[in-house]
Amino acid sequence: MKISRRASKADVPSMAMGDIAFNLLIFFVILARAEDDSHLHWQPASAVEITASGAAKVSVLIDSDNKYYVNGQQVGETQIAGEVESLLGNAAAGDRRVFFKVHKDAQAMYFEPAIAAISEVGGDLIHVLEQKKE
Amino acid sequence: MVEPPASATGDIAFNLIVFFLVCASVQPDSGREQSLPRSDQDSEEQTENIQVQLTRNAVMLNGAILRQDDFAIALNRSLKGKVRPEDRVVIVQSKPDTPYSHWVIVTEMIDQAGGIVTIQTEEVQQMVVPNS
Repeated sequence: MKISRRASKADVPSMAMGDIAFNLLIFFVILARAEDDSHLHWQPASAVEITASGAAKVSVLIDSDNKYYVNGQQVGETQIAGEVESLLGNAAAGDRRVFFKVHKDAQAMYFEPAIAAISEVGGDLIHVLEQKKE
Repeated sequence: MVEPPASATGDIAFNLIVFFLVCASVQPDSGREQSLPRSDQDSEEQTENIQVQLTRNAVMLNGAILRQDDFAIALNRSLKGKVRPEDRVVIVQSKPDTPYSHWVIVTEMIDQAGGIVTIQTEEVQQMVVPNS
């Protein structure tokens, strides 16, 4: 006598797909916010001639409270050079761009040491500015 | 009531992920590139370089206070005929309270005039006060 095997159906429940994708969404959004500096408070200074700057590996930001951030992470003034150097690594000359985002009212005693630090480690400084309104 | 198929929610959420990630990355930064000479490349002939002093709301060229419009003209005149990069170095000294917006305007003028901006930070001087 032949006993036919009953094929069991083992599908991933399609209802769970929505939950998985939603969790992925939250994960990526949080990850992206931790890496960037969009949540920080600063207003760019304006300039007449600005150009699209493309992308950069590193961004150094000084916010409206004169606090320093490297890629969104708060650092001390003396840590900027080390942090930027480790992020740039052994990148080639054209690939060492560093976005420099400074609140327009920040004073020289805060932004000059940061410029010196970026210059010291061989970063290509790009001041992030907005177009001056006529 | 007709419910939407549950299998579609995965696709909807995945499209949401793509949408948010693309939105987060399409805002390009714009600005101005600035080449600063490394500190070890500073020339010894610093006395011959053009010096620009910045205060909170004033600009000085080799010690003379100028209006912003006059500064651009005077700077162009100073850089005229200077071809070698080391001759086109402009040393910028800023008072500690100089705002970044003011610094950007002046350094932009220097760049436009063909000068090479070099920052000279104020040196900390130690003074020994004799005991009386």
